[in-house]
Amino acid sequence: MRRAGTYGFMAEFDSPTSLVAAAHRVQQAGYRKVDAYSPFPIEGLAEAVGFHRDEMPLVVLIGGLIGGITGYAMQYWMSVISYPINVGGKPYHSWPAFIIVTFEMTILFAGISAVLGMLALNGLPMPYHPVFNVPRFAFATKDRFFLIVFSSDPKYSSIETRRFLESLSPRSIAEVPD
Amino acid sequence: MSPARVDNLDLMAPPIIRTIGRRSLVVGLIFAALSLIGAFIRPDQFFRAYLLSFMAWLGVCLGSMAILMLRHLTKGGWGMIIRRILGAAMRTLPLLALLFIPIFLGLPKLYIWARPLDSISDQHLREHLQQVTQSYLSVSGFAIRAVIYFVIWGGLIFFLTRWSSEQDHPSARDNSTRFKALSGPGLVLYGFTISFAAIDWVMSIDPSWISTIYGLSFLIGEVLSALCFAVVVERILFRYKPMSELLKPDYVHDHGKLMLAFIMVWAYFAFSQWLIIWAGNLPDEITWYMRRLNGGWGYVGLFLVLFHFAVPFVFLLSRPFKRDVTRLVWLAIWIMLMRYLDLYWMIEPNFSQKLSVTWADVVVPFAVGGLWLGYFFHNLASKPLVPAYDVSANEVLEPVHD
Repeated sequence: MRRAGTYGFMAEFDSPTSLVAAAHRVQQAGYRKVDAYSPFPIEGLAEAVGFHRDEMPLVVLIGGLIGGITGYAMQYWMSVISYPINVGGKPYHSWPAFIIVTFEMTILFAGISAVLGMLALNGLPMPYHPVFNVPRFAFATKDRFFLIVFSSDPKYSSIETRRFLESLSPRSIAEVPD
Repeated sequence: MSPARVDNLDLMAPPIIRTIGRRSLVVGLIFAALSLIGAFIRPDQFFRAYLLSFMAWLGVCLGSMAILMLRHLTKGGWGMIIRRILGAAMRTLPLLALLFIPIFLGLPKLYIWARPLDSISDQHLREHLQQVTQSYLSVSGFAIRAVIYFVIWGGLIFFLTRWSSEQDHPSARDNSTRFKALSGPGLVLYGFTISFAAIDWVMSIDPSWISTIYGLSFLIGEVLSALCFAVVVERILFRYKPMSELLKPDYVHDHGKLMLAFIMVWAYFAFSQWLIIWAGNLPDEITWYMRRLNGGWGYVGLFLVLFHFAVPFVFLLSRPFKRDVTRLVWLAIWIMLMRYLDLYWMIEPNFSQKLSVTWADVVVPFAVGGLWLGYFFHNLASKPLVPAYDVSANEVLEPVHD
């Protein structure tokens, strides 16, 4: 067993609107380490929990660049160094002919890095996550909406935070064991 | 079915639109007078620039028609919000049909196949022309085909406009099925007619050269310039009610995404044509590029690769950039200029071995453009900016929530 501790407080809501409203209130109250769970994407929820940017575009860009450079370098090596063949009197290094494969390799690597980057940045696969210690959290994939304030938040206090979440009139509140 | 907000929001374009229209018309008339003087002094230069300007503005008109039909097939708020801008742009076709007439006057100046065969000294070329003028490129054939194109475009625009106008009235019935039934075949017809028109009007300037993707390059160019034009107009309207209430970042985002897609398709077509001709390296085909890559024209080509494709592409990768109409509009204006330069690079090298810009290349586009914009803004001001009683109008008429 790991040390007995608290992962955070979880509040349950009935509708996406009340979840977004609650998320705004939590932000205004000064909490920063906050997350939300819902069965489907909700417009404006990411901004409401203070989530603005992620590193995905950078990962995809780097993946794409690596793919493009690899594709070009591979063709250059094949047609100029490894096995040069004279095709229609054109130079060995005929860049127009290399563009298509370079492009395709860019797309391929960007696509693969998008999938792998998404998994890595989400920390997947993740066999254990504390939120599942709350039995009602199973409804997050059906018709309930959850908001969590993590215990790592500097403003977190087991009494104050609970009281504050209660003021948002959720359907239920649970302390999430770590 | 009447949305509640219609009653308290005036959907007509702001009065400034009529003012802009009048000013455009004045500019157009002044430049038209200058062009007319120029047409008598240097008719050869005038007609090249005239064809160029005509094709550029025709592109905005027909591209708007194509995007509109695309919207009728796919739906979505992005299309509803610019629907009447596109509609006003496509309803300028009568003016463009009128402006097509001067091209007939300059036929022998523009097209070598329209000249008397005896005047051509090159033996090889004369034999080739004898063949093509008998089979396809005759003056009467050119005229008949032009009439067919304009009748087809006019027919499509007539019905699209008429059914759209019905949606301004509370008793409107649901026209979306009719729109769909017309738009599917309409897009196919547009694809064919614009290909033939591009062959007749531009590709035939060099009757010994053939490229099968040429028509599609024109098609995507037209759609791209029409979309950019719609973004520019939507930016102007965004300063005033009702557009300031209706335009959401999500719609602008979609316009930015479409712009990115169209730019990539343009680059794809342009590059495919180049790759195939470069790989074949046959005398009949490669001469087209030899002309356009030498004598200074190569710099224009390189400029297009960088600033019609590469730089806009990089800008449009950014999500915040695509969502902000006040920033996107600058790229839209830039791409419209690049569209003009692309047409210039396709047309002008036929007449001049060395890179050259004549007075007409600068004056005539303003003449055609001024008149065209005058008509466009008149059209834009004469109808509500959203067909309020269309079944899918509610999605844009809902209040903007912050």
